[in-house]
Amino acid sequence: MNGVDALTVRDLRSGYGSYDILQGVSLRVGQGERVGVFGPNGHGKTTLLNTISGIVRAGAGAISFMGKDITRADAATIVERGLIHVPQANLLFPAMEIQETLELAAYTRRAREQRGASLERVYGLFPRLKERRTQLCRTLSGGERQMLAIGVGLMCRPNMLLLDEPTLGLSPKLKDELAAAIDSISRSGVPLLLVEQDISFILSLVDRMYLIDHGEVAQEIVRGSEIDHQEIMRMYFGTAQVAR
Amino acid sequence: MSADAFSAMLVSGLVLGSLYAMMASGLSLVWTTLGIFNFAHGVFMALGAYIAWSVSDAAGLGLWLGAGIAVSVAAMAGVGILVERLVIRPFYGERDMLLITVMATLAVMMFLEKGIQLVWGPRLKQLRPIVEGKASILGITISAHEVLIVFLTPAVLFCLWAFLRWTRAGRGIRAVGQNPDAARLIGIRVSTMFALTFALSAVLAGLTGILLGSIRLMTPTLGSEPLMKAFIIVIVGGLGSVGGTVAAAYLIGLAEAVLLTFVGMYWSPSILFIGLVALLLVRPEGLFGRSAR
Repeated sequence: MNGVDALTVRDLRSGYGSYDILQGVSLRVGQGERVGVFGPNGHGKTTLLNTISGIVRAGAGAISFMGKDITRADAATIVERGLIHVPQANLLFPAMEIQETLELAAYTRRAREQRGASLERVYGLFPRLKERRTQLCRTLSGGERQMLAIGVGLMCRPNMLLLDEPTLGLSPKLKDELAAAIDSISRSGVPLLLVEQDISFILSLVDRMYLIDHGEVAQEIVRGSEIDHQEIMRMYFGTAQVAR
Repeated sequence: MSADAFSAMLVSGLVLGSLYAMMASGLSLVWTTLGIFNFAHGVFMALGAYIAWSVSDAAGLGLWLGAGIAVSVAAMAGVGILVERLVIRPFYGERDMLLITVMATLAVMMFLEKGIQLVWGPRLKQLRPIVEGKASILGITISAHEVLIVFLTPAVLFCLWAFLRWTRAGRGIRAVGQNPDAARLIGIRVSTMFALTFALSAVLAGLTGILLGSIRLMTPTLGSEPLMKAFIIVIVGGLGSVGGTVAAAYLIGLAEAVLLTFVGMYWSPSILFIGLVALLLVRPEGLFGRSAR
């Protein structure tokens, strides 16, 4: 599939009810690329991911995955194609056990065929989940829940991952652990679209980044370009949070 | 109280509890998965019994009762899927889905009750018992059919439990009930799971109807009183827990038998209800429920 982007989004408008939260977003993610989406809360980052994964219907514009149009596809079809969305603060299935949840997550035929191998990989990446495999999801800590959410994403056999704020509410140590896990997943060739609020986390992982503002792409930043950490903070929060 | 009288009470409690458990588990499954109460659940019970009657009774096709049960189970699965498609699915995601579906399922109830009356006429009917004759249980001799109810129900409920616990579709149903969006994001088709839940639930209601149809006389409203009981059982057991529903069904069956023995037919229902209201005052989430669905 050389030459075809993993994901392209063109002039996407969508939202809830009659109000468009996304006011025409365009972005692309190349094969094997890791791309970030950064921006203030309430400016459409989560809506963007929900629309790509078919949870929210696109009002206008086009989304294509591996060269095929998925703008009007339903969520199940998109999962079958291997475009996997790991939502923000995912509570998963409170009354299900961890292992049960992981096994269920290999739901599509494609994923089921590789279930054993996927499970081994998830447990290798997050040994803590293996220790707690008979615990109910609702008993997990924030960090474990995030690991499980990513584990569930891996069980789906992703050809691409959409991650929504995987570090929300985690301690610095857990953030590092998670960053290492995400890094290792993407190195296996899975392109990433990572939505984050934590600017250093996002900069440590991505090759390229889009700044979203009021439901539009305000700027595209390529790693190593002149815009740096301080300037991004200044653009969004008025002042730089870290003194130079 | 003599040992015999005690056993008699226990056995009648078990028979009642079994019927309640079979009936209420289906209702509970629909609540847990879709978050709606199905008021047509009682008429599903009647319909299941009538279909089995038509296939097996001499006045109908006159086939073996087993054939009647098989046809009825298949038909009820179809009815469940059809009702979900026609009157539940159009309202997915509506803010007032709970209220709308109360009305929609009440309409289905009336439609099917009148439909049964129209098709099968007003004459009272009765199914043959699945097994003839008498049998002894705990030293008490009752009809073999009632003994069958006592043993068949746990078997059916075990199958339901195993299905929900171990199969892909069963786990899918539970996942959809606990978090529909997360379920969609792993590729589960929520509407398919809803239809399947309705089918299962209708089959459970139909089976209850078949079991009851040889103890009582069949009328189109055969299921309305059991439905009322089943609602109470689901609430008392704790909304959102099929296991809690089953436990509550047996508890209430036994409590009813005790009340019938000591208080009699006349006052038992009111005392039972007062007791359950008192229970809900102390534990609003029900016996085995958690505060959230």
